[in-house]
Parts: sequence; C-alpha cells; structure tokens
Amino acid sequence: MLERPSHGGELANRLSMRLGETWRIDSNDIYRLLQNLEAEGLVCVREEPRRDKRPGTRIVYHPTERTSAALTRWIETLLPRETFRLGLHAKLAVAREHDLPGLRSALGQHRRECLELATMMCPGEGELGSWGALLMDCTRDGIHQMLQTELDWVARTLTRIDEYAARRS
Amino acid sequence: MSLRRPTAAGSLPLLSFSAVSKLQRDGGRERVVLDSVCFDLHAGASLGVYGARRSGKSTLLRLAAGLDFPERGSVRFEGRELAGISGRERARLLRGPLALLSAEDWLPSPGETVMDHVAMSAGSGGMSLREARRAALGALDRVDAAGVCAEEMTVSLSSSLRARVLLARALVREPRLLLVDEPAPLPSLLERDGFRALLRAVTRERGIALLVASEELSALQGLAALASISAGELCMAQEPGKVVELPRRRSGAGERR
Repeated sequence: MLERPSHGGELANRLSMRLGETWRIDSNDIYRLLQNLEAEGLVCVREEPRRDKRPGTRIVYHPTERTSAALTRWIETLLPRETFRLGLHAKLAVAREHDLPGLRSALGQHRRECLELATMMCPGEGELGSWGALLMDCTRDGIHQMLQTELDWVARTLTRIDEYAARRS
Repeated sequence: MSLRRPTAAGSLPLLSFSAVSKLQRDGGRERVVLDSVCFDLHAGASLGVYGARRSGKSTLLRLAAGLDFPERGSVRFEGRELAGISGRERARLLRGPLALLSAEDWLPSPGETVMDHVAMSAGSGGMSLREARRAALGALDRVDAAGVCAEEMTVSLSSSLRARVLLARALVREPRLLLVDEPAPLPSLLERDGFRALLRAVTRERGIALLVASEELSALQGLAALASISAGELCMAQEPGKVVELPRRRSGAGERR
C-alpha cells in the first residue's frame, strides 16, 4: 500500500507474488486485515473512479501518516511463531506396531506433497540483483529450507522404521 | 512415472530406468545403494533429484551416464541398454549425445587456455581444429564467458567462470541429455542462482533434456519435475504410474537470467 495505493484484490495479488503460491493467500483474510488496519487508523479507505475508465468506482486503500512508522516498528518486532504442528506427528504419537504399513504410506504421501510444493516454487521474475528480487529470493530460501528439512525428516523416519522392522524380523 | 513434453507424446523416452537396483559390499554385508528405481525422461524434459549425502543420487547419475552398471534392472538411453554396450561405444556416447557435468571433472592443464580446453572437447568428437575453435567460441559466448576468459589460462580460473566453462565444454558436443551433479556449489548465492538460471535457459532453448541431482532443494527450482531419493528409493512428486504432460514452458515466462 505504501508502494502504491490499490484495491484489495491487487494488494492480495502483489503479496501473493512475493510470498509464493505455497503461502496460499486468501483474499478474505486480506479484507479482514485491511478492516483491522482501518480500525487502528493505519489505513484510509477511499472510493475512487476506476482507473481503466470503465463505469463505477473502486474501494482503494491508502496509507495514513502513521502507516510508514508502523511498518518500521513491525519489521523490528519479533512475531509469534506459528505453532509447529504436522498432522504426521500426531499419527506417530499414537501409532501401534501394526500401523507400520499405514505410517509408511502416510510418510510417502507427505514426501510427495513436499516435492509438489517445491515444484510450485518458481524462480524469480525480478531483475537479478534488484531489491525486489532479493526479498523474494529470501522468502523462497525459507520455504525451500523448510521443505528440505521435512523431506530429510521423512527420510530419517522411514530409515528408522526400516531398521526397526529389520531387527524384529 | 513418466515425464514428457506434449510434442514427444508416444515417442521413446530418452532415458529410461526400469527397476534399477545397485548394491555395494559393505564389509561382509550388502548395502542397497539404489532400490528398484523406475522413471522415464523424455527429450527436452527436466527432472531434479533431491537427496542428502550418500542417498544414492550420484550413483544414479553415474548409471545414467553408463559409467556404472546395475545389479538388477535396466538403464536405457534412446532405447539402448547401457549395460550391453562396449567401452568404445560408451566413450562415443559421452563425447556426443550424453554429457555428465560435475565440478570434480575439472582437470586443467598448465599452459592451456579456456578456448583450447573447450575446443579440445569439441575436437574429440571428430571436428577439424578450425571447426572446433568456432564451436568453442559459440559455446563460450552462450555461457557469457567468451569475452571474459576465452584467452585466460584454465589453471587460474575463478570457481564461477570454471562452472560456466564446464557447461560450455558440455554444450560444444551438442548433447541431447545433460546430467548435472551438484550444479555450481559457488560461494556467492547470486552467482549460484545465475548459473542455475543459465543452465535452465540454455537447455530449454536447445531442447536438451536435463537431469540434475543436488543436496540442496533450492538448487532444483525451475525444473519441471522433482523427485527425492533416500536410502536408494526414488520418490517422485506425483503418484507412480501417472504420465505427466509437461507444459512447454513451465517457468519460462519472464524468467531472469
């Protein structure tokens, strides 16, 4: 918004471009967020004629004089971590020995999902070495690293399961 | 699992692994390095294989290049079983349609320029010296190295230029399949990204199929399909048995170099 006042859909698209498809931005979340920001006085809502010369108006979100400073503060603050929850951890916590084949297949599915998410991560479109490209590269690194860690964990878990099964038989 | 482009539908895969197992003796025991690996790679398609150290990915590339043979199953290049070919035929394959790119293959000779080095690679394919030099210049130009280092000595080349020259050396032989082990583990992240983008762009524009293995998932971004390997088992992103029709340019639009 500070870069360019826009309507909600465009803000959502631009954010989605930077965070990547894996973040799965929901435009409803964006509107809720914008409402909250408006209530805090960080967003100013204006109804403006459409830029594409079509009839009708659009709701355009503008920053207020407090927005820039609020963003600076937000960048510096440590945000609460999302709870680290993987459905597979819950399955592992309660699995019985005879569930081993089921666990193996669930782990395999998880591995495929991680790979599919990684396939969705396309290399940047920005100019190599630009500020925008730098930001997107950093986000992509984070997502790749998380997916890589999960793939490594799945591989380790499968190896542990196999070694256990081999010892038992 | 089969990877192909719509244009190649129905045609023979370029590289085909069927139920490939590779074993290695570990003391008195046998260790499974590759376990019933199956996949097809069609002309012009790309596949990235992610795996930790000792997961079997380098072995997979060596088998694909015909430098090693499986205990079970078969590896075929353009329909031909690689285990059955003679040493001479294998050498001919590696001088032409099949190229293996690995930083470990960098063997500079004292007094040799980059131009000589790349031209030598082209010359071993049967070209005259003049043709070889022209082809070398073209390949070096494509990897943005001609103006920078064609007359430099290979022994004093930076790691970043070395990666590009290695790629030029492979390109000059006009391969149909490029096998890459760990693409450019360069100190600068920007240079790494730049090299990987170059690799994707060059192979795409020349219709070269690409098989890349790395222990870094991010090194494989932009490739059309991904797989992971651990304890010798290969897992593809999609359910096995599904034929994936790849779009012509999955991430090409506006991709930076």
